[in-house]
Amino acid sequence: MKSAWGWFLLAPPLVLALVFFVVPLVYLFWVSLHASSTSELYGAALTLRNYSDVLADSFYLTIVRRTLGVAAVILGLCLLIGYPVAYFVALLPVRRRMLAILLLLFPLMVSNVVRAYGWVSLLERRGVVNSTLRDLHLIDAPLDLLYTPSAVVIALMTILLPYMVISIANTLAALDRRYQEAAQALGASPLRTFLHVTLPLSTPGIASGTLLVFLLTLSAYVTITLLGGPRSKLLVSLIYDSVTAFQWPRAAALAFVLLALALAFTGLILALLRPGRVQGAGR
Amino acid sequence: MKAALSAGSMLRGTATTIAFALIVVPILIVVVAAFSPNDYFQFPPPGFSLRWFVEFFGLQTMRDAFVLSIELALASATIATILGTLAALFLARRHGAIAALLQSLFLAPLVFPTLILGVALLLLYKTIGMPVFPGLLLAHCIVGMPYGFRTVLASAQALDPALEEAGQSLGADPLRTLFLVTLPLIWPGVLSGWLFAFIVSFGELNTALFLTGPGVTTLPIEIFSYLQFTGSQLVIAAASSVQIALIVILVAVIERVVGIARITRAR
Amino acid sequence: MSAPGPSPQLASRTRGERAEQHPADVQLVGVRKRFGGVVAVNDVSVEIPRGTIFSLLGPSGCGKTTTLRLVAGFEQPDAGEVYIRGARVTSMPPYRRDFSMVFQSYALFPHLTVAQNVAFGLRMRRVARGDRARGVDEALELVKLRALADRYPRQLSGGQQQRVALARAIVVKPAVLLLDEPLGALDKLLREEMQVELRSLQQRLGITAVFVTHDQEEALTLSDRVAVMRNGVIEQIGAPREIYDRPRNAFVASFLGASNFIDGVVVAREAASIVVETPGTRISVPGDKAAGERVRIAVRPERLRMARTDAHGLPATIRDIVYRGPVTHFYLDSASGPLLAYQQNARAGDWTIGDEVRCAWDADSAVVLDGARE
Repeated sequence: MKSAWGWFLLAPPLVLALVFFVVPLVYLFWVSLHASSTSELYGAALTLRNYSDVLADSFYLTIVRRTLGVAAVILGLCLLIGYPVAYFVALLPVRRRMLAILLLLFPLMVSNVVRAYGWVSLLERRGVVNSTLRDLHLIDAPLDLLYTPSAVVIALMTILLPYMVISIANTLAALDRRYQEAAQALGASPLRTFLHVTLPLSTPGIASGTLLVFLLTLSAYVTITLLGGPRSKLLVSLIYDSVTAFQWPRAAALAFVLLALALAFTGLILALLRPGRVQGAGR
Repeated sequence: MKAALSAGSMLRGTATTIAFALIVVPILIVVVAAFSPNDYFQFPPPGFSLRWFVEFFGLQTMRDAFVLSIELALASATIATILGTLAALFLARRHGAIAALLQSLFLAPLVFPTLILGVALLLLYKTIGMPVFPGLLLAHCIVGMPYGFRTVLASAQALDPALEEAGQSLGADPLRTLFLVTLPLIWPGVLSGWLFAFIVSFGELNTALFLTGPGVTTLPIEIFSYLQFTGSQLVIAAASSVQIALIVILVAVIERVVGIARITRAR
Repeated sequence: MSAPGPSPQLASRTRGERAEQHPADVQLVGVRKRFGGVVAVNDVSVEIPRGTIFSLLGPSGCGKTTTLRLVAGFEQPDAGEVYIRGARVTSMPPYRRDFSMVFQSYALFPHLTVAQNVAFGLRMRRVARGDRARGVDEALELVKLRALADRYPRQLSGGQQQRVALARAIVVKPAVLLLDEPLGALDKLLREEMQVELRSLQQRLGITAVFVTHDQEEALTLSDRVAVMRNGVIEQIGAPREIYDRPRNAFVASFLGASNFIDGVVVAREAASIVVETPGTRISVPGDKAAGERVRIAVRPERLRMARTDAHGLPATIRDIVYRGPVTHFYLDSASGPLLAYQQNARAGDWTIGDEVRCAWDADSAVVLDGARE
């Protein structure tokens, strides 16, 4: 009886998740192990060529390196700006903290294409930045701000920054203030209290913020395309291009290279920060 | 010491101001630009006009995309929330390795690169011959399910287990206990899950990028193609503002119905 | 474990007769339940006659709540059978069993009014609207809460919530009412008031009830019979007076209030009693043990009488005197170890610390315990 009821609850979501999440990914992996074909979705022969091509080709490696570089810069900026902001937000009184978080959350609900378009209209040749600079007679000819790696970094960084701030702010706000008080009572200066108590205790927030920002950077195709243009392609752009060129095995292999990067980074962050060690310390 | 302290708080204040500006300004610019009377956006705007909104609703492709996005978001949020609620009710009182595995499975689409899910689903759909709209709907169900799952799980776990037992002790079978006791009590969680799933579907890009087809396009993808192929024109600002307005309304609804605390906790 | 204690065969016979007059409303036969590696309930068999309150008493983790939940059907036994009104319900889900329950947290539905909460069980039983309203009215009248019918649970005090939970449970006229520490959340005064009220309500309605508690006073006040549990096993079943006055072992004796334990060796057997040699004196106790056997004797502190040294009895010295209002506690040292005596009406100056005394009691106030040492 009890198990029948359990199945009634579990079966529909489980079937959906398996059939339209797990199965397509397994299938994609299967396709990545096949030769390409001009008439079918993928060829009959099993091969590792798709992976060895990607790893041997300097073009792909450049793109992978560029992807990691862009992601690292975005991540660094998000941490550098996000932590002090999160600290500021966490110290606000409850009601105002919630409003601040709502203000950070709202942009996340707006479609990324809209937010990217906002940056386009700021940075394009006739955009707000160029026209303002020209009105102030600081420049004569418009600057080429759009379609540069910096445009991608700035836009993507600000699009993803709220994730970092919210993750860290929630952890900091939940921290028991008595830990800091205890450290100060033991003679630690504010700086040392921060370095030895607050910072380590906020690692769960740092870890989840870092992972979100990194993973979302990897697959932010629309932002990258709108702000980077054709010259600043990243790994996702190659996946998209392969799909539109009907090179399914190649696209599949690139997708799994991207997934491998995501997985490796996740493992690295969890190993470095070990957020589990202090998980729930605030409660 | 005192100097270090105030330098620290000044740094935090400055960083916060800059950060909020960087986050909010690009969105504000879009809204301001949408009301421009000119062909091109000038700052500060020389006047106020609704011509770009008129143009937006006049464009058949934009209008169709807007309607499709709303239909898609309504349907996918509803399915995703029902399924997420079922999963959450199943897992609310279960522990152990299998329960943990299932929980990760249901939450995975939150962090999984959805672009890859889009590629994988397109490949599957091409193989089995799935029509465009149902395929897109299922993709958005996968993407939206974690939101309903998470908010309901939190509500259900906060519920006194004795309440459901009380229902059963008074003769209510599991189904009646669900409808008469559990659902009325976890309703705010279900509702905020639904609204989040709606919002996510309404702005979703990464699976829709692959799964939309000719004549079946969502508003975000329509905006994206327009930007890519026709260029940055102010009708896009109007389209974006419509998007933003709808989200503002939804957030206001959540705030009214379930309170601000639940919104800020849900992400 | 349901075998009667050492001496009160008489009591057990009267119980048997009663059980014949009134069939058992609840019966557990050899019920076992384990959670992972922990045996929560181990081979428990009890019969609860119609119209009586039966208490499961024991420390936390003794299996009393699990036993109750096995009756309700919230847990399934690994072995054994559960009967309600003679029908086997062992594998029946809770919502088909004829019982209702008052929960420790009350579990009032927060989204329903008091009246709707009370009506819930009637609704599930498809009682017609008019009868339902009448039933709710009557039940709320019984717990004196008719005036609050349209309030929500959160608007009520703890005591009022408790009454609503009770009304909700009795309105369906269940074969058995299960109560899981229902008074645990109330303060002491309210708790005592509710105990009396609960008892009179139960007797008026003739309900069969199973009551789980860790409070021995509550169990003694409320119950017709009490089962003392430990580690999933029923240590003793009996009427309150029986388990208080004639505990079978040291655990039961000490769980139901303070007790003095005196060890000794049987030196003689008489008609219905034995003579025990202890370090201080010889004691005559009702019981049947072989000469030479080592035994432990229990005597309640309020049964211990203190007399001047010229009297007969166990020699002791007063170590401490604690004035507790209605009674005074005397802490004594004797050759058999520390002793405790309660005295009512003790006046200041009757005794002082350091006084040499002789302790005595009526022969039938002492009990020989099972299992010499615990």
